[in-house]
Amino acid sequence: MRRLTASGSGRTRPRRSVILALLALWLVIPLTPLVLWAGASRWSGTARLPQDLGSRGWQEALDAGMIAALVRSGLLGVAVALIATPLGVMAGRALGWRLLRRPALPSVVLLAPVVLAPFSVAMGLDIVILRVGIPGEVAVVVVLSVFALPYTTFTMRATYLGLDPALEEQARVLGASTRQARRRVTLPAATTGLVTATGLAFLVGWSDYAVTLLIGGGQIVTAPMLIGSAAAGSGNDALTSTLAVSASLPPLVALAVFTYAASRRRTAAYS
Amino acid sequence: MTAALHLSAITHRHPGADQPTLADIDLEVPEGQMVAVLGPSGSGKTTLLRVAAGLEQPESGDVLLDGTSVLGVPPEGRDLTVMFQKPHLFPHLSVLDNVAFADRLRGRSRPASRAAAQRYLDLVQLGDLGRRRPRQLSGGQEQRVALARALAASRRVMLLDEPFSALDTNLRTSMHELLGEVRAALDPTIVIVTHDLDEAGLAERVGVLVEGRIEQFDAIHTLYAAPKTLAVARLVGGFNEVPGTVESGVHYSSLGALVLPAAADVNGTAILLVRKERLGLVDAEATATVTGRVVEVRQSGPHQDVVVELDRAPADRRARVEVEVRLGTTLRPGDRTGVQIPGPGGLWAVDHPGVEDASQISHATSEPAIFDSTTRGRG
Repeated sequence: MRRLTASGSGRTRPRRSVILALLALWLVIPLTPLVLWAGASRWSGTARLPQDLGSRGWQEALDAGMIAALVRSGLLGVAVALIATPLGVMAGRALGWRLLRRPALPSVVLLAPVVLAPFSVAMGLDIVILRVGIPGEVAVVVVLSVFALPYTTFTMRATYLGLDPALEEQARVLGASTRQARRRVTLPAATTGLVTATGLAFLVGWSDYAVTLLIGGGQIVTAPMLIGSAAAGSGNDALTSTLAVSASLPPLVALAVFTYAASRRRTAAYS
Repeated sequence: MTAALHLSAITHRHPGADQPTLADIDLEVPEGQMVAVLGPSGSGKTTLLRVAAGLEQPESGDVLLDGTSVLGVPPEGRDLTVMFQKPHLFPHLSVLDNVAFADRLRGRSRPASRAAAQRYLDLVQLGDLGRRRPRQLSGGQEQRVALARALAASRRVMLLDEPFSALDTNLRTSMHELLGEVRAALDPTIVIVTHDLDEAGLAERVGVLVEGRIEQFDAIHTLYAAPKTLAVARLVGGFNEVPGTVESGVHYSSLGALVLPAAADVNGTAILLVRKERLGLVDAEATATVTGRVVEVRQSGPHQDVVVELDRAPADRRARVEVEVRLGTTLRPGDRTGVQIPGPGGLWAVDHPGVEDASQISHATSEPAIFDSTTRGRG
């Protein structure tokens, strides 16, 4: 019995390493040409690698307004996260702690934005928004918040499912008001879920193309809009790749920082 | 003297329930004392604590702290705290910050509240674990931290909701010792609800809660010696129930005519209660009060219980008694034996007005004449 277990685990370890390596490749391979193009000044179609390295793509991206577009995307992501996260926390709490007598209908309604294609929704809404006279920026933020809501809600629902509601009762009998119990106990205990939900809502705003284009009427130039326009019209692969890399870097850096901080926290807890 | 906590005529009904969970409960807890509420599962013990803490509202009645009604006061505003069955330590805080939680809410600085928390951690003998996270603690350690946190809240009354029931026997014993040390050091006012007689025995007085009503409120030794009702006797466990009638302080039954203690104020149809450890087994030919035949010998913790079917009972109405003996009895089923009945000091009787004919009770209870504490008392 002992030998079987030992040989079993011995076989599992290399298999796990291979799977992890394949997963890493799956994520890295699509990014490799982008990274290479971003550092190339000349790369003809037949060559396996760029013939000349340089910063032509970066210069052209800066000239095309990359910084302003990234800032706009960032603001859009922050605005969406600021709206969708608190709403998701409330909805997730109600669903996760089974505070609703009939949770089925609210669940379906909250999940619906994921089922609907943003393009089709935006196509119908743009005329309405124009007629009502809502500013494009506000309309884009509101519509994207609706699309972000399922992600924040269901992330927080899973988080609350793992938290005992009695924690709040415990806090209250130790002297915390209802609000203090939430602010000092439940929300800090749900930090990981909260950060994940905020990140997902931010990414919905950061990476959106269809809603920003159709409802914003082309007036709100965000990073995805700039990438889309470069990819569709210029034929300039260096510029397109540079824009794509620069749009990917901030979320990747944020993810790395969060993962590092979370692992440090775990390690500190066991020290 | 005004009680630190007074639950006055509390009635509570869960939404949609026909019967009230608590019916007209009155309970007074003097300052510095520990009162236990003993009851089987579903008797309403936890609901009683939740009503006292303000986590549930009663249908009627009042909750008074130092004579002042706190019925309209939210849980955080009542000068009491609760330690639940689960420790409910806050997972995002260190052990020390868990204990310092109430002080921080009161606005004390972090260093000051941590210094105070450290003293309570030292008191529960976990002074070295302040920097750990709750998930790094064992079950016993978690309960100790929860106790330290409840003590550090420095409330007028501490409500303990079966706090040690999830621990194994050794840990529970050590927690009972710790509670004794804490009481000696801080003299807190405590209400503990439990289904464990040993735990209830830590308290000065015990309220026996049966189906939402306090049936008796006495010291634990009184519950063992003089239960007020059959329900209390069955909850405490270890009694032989012998049906009969009482006339002029004498109980007549298949055990014969037995003089009751003067305190047993019963008349008419009544159940004689004799604890199994107060009965003795003697040679059948000796001066035994009654004789019978052994029908079963059972192991019961560090003792043995010998079930004896009495000769005196009519053939169609078997009457049995259970006698607790030391380990190593040589008696076997089928052996004849004598049963020695104690004097008035070892007897008790309770009214049984529901049944008029004593012989019917005898027949009905002849099989389960004894209610064992290890099963009945720990429901």
